[in-house]
Amino acid sequence: MQNSQEVRAQWHRTGAMLTRRRWSLVLTGLLFASAAVLVLCSQFGAVSVQLADVLAALWHVLTTGSLDASSLGTGGVIFLQVRLPRILMGFLVGGALAAVGVTLQALLRNPLADPYVLGVSSGAALGASLAMLLGIGTTVLLLPLLPLFGFIGGLFALMLIYRLAQSQGRLPIHSLLLAGVILNAILTALIMFITSIMEPNRSAGLMAWLMGSLIAPGYPALAVIVIYVAFVSAVLMHKAQVLNVLTQGEETAQSLGIDTERVKKQLYVLTALVTGAVVSVSGMIGFVGMVVPHAVRMMIGSDHRLLLPASAMVGGMFLVVSDTIARTIFAPAEIPVGIVTALAGGPFFLYLLLWRKDRMI
Amino acid sequence: MKRRQQGILTGMPFMAHVSSRSFVDDAGRRIYLAKTPSRIISLAPSVTEMLFAIGAGAQVVGVTQFCDYPPEATQRAKLGYGNPNIETLVALQPDLIVAPQEFLKPDLIGKLEQLKIPVFILADRMVEDVFSHIQTFGRMLDLSTEATALGMDLRQQIARIKTRTQGAAPVRVLYVLNSEPLITVGPGSYIDQLIGLAGGINVAVKSATAYPRLSMEVVLQENPDILLFPVGTAEGISESEQQAWRKWSTLTAVKRNNLRQIPADLLNRPGPRIGKALELLADLFHPSATSLPSENH
Repeated sequence: MQNSQEVRAQWHRTGAMLTRRRWSLVLTGLLFASAAVLVLCSQFGAVSVQLADVLAALWHVLTTGSLDASSLGTGGVIFLQVRLPRILMGFLVGGALAAVGVTLQALLRNPLADPYVLGVSSGAALGASLAMLLGIGTTVLLLPLLPLFGFIGGLFALMLIYRLAQSQGRLPIHSLLLAGVILNAILTALIMFITSIMEPNRSAGLMAWLMGSLIAPGYPALAVIVIYVAFVSAVLMHKAQVLNVLTQGEETAQSLGIDTERVKKQLYVLTALVTGAVVSVSGMIGFVGMVVPHAVRMMIGSDHRLLLPASAMVGGMFLVVSDTIARTIFAPAEIPVGIVTALAGGPFFLYLLLWRKDRMI
Repeated sequence: MKRRQQGILTGMPFMAHVSSRSFVDDAGRRIYLAKTPSRIISLAPSVTEMLFAIGAGAQVVGVTQFCDYPPEATQRAKLGYGNPNIETLVALQPDLIVAPQEFLKPDLIGKLEQLKIPVFILADRMVEDVFSHIQTFGRMLDLSTEATALGMDLRQQIARIKTRTQGAAPVRVLYVLNSEPLITVGPGSYIDQLIGLAGGINVAVKSATAYPRLSMEVVLQENPDILLFPVGTAEGISESEQQAWRKWSTLTAVKRNNLRQIPADLLNRPGPRIGKALELLADLFHPSATSLPSENH
């Protein structure tokens, strides 16, 4: 008994059983599952769209190569311009949040770590709140200023936390977490301050945005997000082996010749860049980055070469399903997707905490 | 449904005369005013407007920072909105506080009751409530004649607009309270009532809540003829946010270039400028019907 537990613990820690075959098998499976979820969720919406309309619109797009709304028909516009981009956006955001969650949990060796723990998301939210308070709705270089402000806010929070946590050129994990918690509290207070001085109708809009909402971006914007997420994913995948070693402890990593401080800094900056971008387009969507990596780790082990892409796909599916619930359950009204993810993810996390303690890293 | 009970309480004059100086507010609380209030604090812009409109402006000593109409109101001491400073409030020595329920915290009411400062709470703020509130303020402040006259005048204005828009083809309207995420007004909200009175059909009519986050899919399907944006200094939708709606080029409103603006304070405040608000809405919905004789009045 003792022995089997040890073996299992070992298996979970190192993912020693990861073979090329298992890797491709799991990822292919998840790829198909993702495609199935995307197709399935695109069938649900506040308005029922006839399949014939969708096919006609698709055919029109394929033959003319134009997404011009006026020639697509209402059903086609609803499907191609509202529902589909939003589902794809959900997949990207969910995937990015889960990947960042995996990375941070490995870096901080803390199961509670998720994209929100470092205060970067609060920084992004504060930036966006400021943009709303100042009534900035203008666009710069075709970019709406709200995401831009969110992004700058996230970066600013990151730089601040860096200065706070750094000591003698190193980034100790406990001071990073502590600084994150404190910074989070300060930034949240500032957001509350902004909502309290805003005209009530506008602060309601801001609160709704902060609660997390996926919007349907235009395809050019979606393409930018795809490129962004793809780039970050590639870099993270490249670091997967290093993450494996880092979870064993920094001393181990250093003894293996890894420049831990440099790797840590690179990864923190990277996760902050993703978090800032994600928050600035979708508000605060919690629990995806925390719960999904745990669930996936329980099922496939903790080798980051597999865990990272698998979590990203499961995170994407989780958010797409959550958002489908959010946009249909009270149709024609919607509820903030952050509520759905928290209500689904929170109890699951408690379950992990209470009954599966032995399986957490 | 919820409002009916209150309508009975404030709508029937004989009940108030059981004791001429005691009043029942929308929360069902009974307050007793030994003498006519002479130092009033208003904790809502709409209340400030109503008090000034019946000629009680001189008695108003404190307002919120959003009370900007009539312009004299800005000269009064300013208290916070949802979170008024209790010390400033007490220092003004009010003998009546009128406050909307939605932004009033229970502990504040408790504290004021403890300090024996009468608080009159407005809970229901639909079109009919504007009239009953004006009436009640008139009785409280011995300005019943003025209040009745104002009420009559407003009813006439509303009736005129109703006759004007009666024959016209209904116009489908989307009121954009917030763009991203899209928040609009649904049944049970004051603005939804105004849209209906001005001859418009709210596209969010099937919503179960008063301020729903409406699905964009539904907007595209319901296809509004007019997109209505509230505008103002402290509130409203910015110009570029309005222009962003043009990407939904299948909407009739976009095709016909019917992106319209209306001052947010007119629609947000259930008060004496309801006639003005309805007139503006009716002009936007039925521009061809504007030059009726009633305009010359």
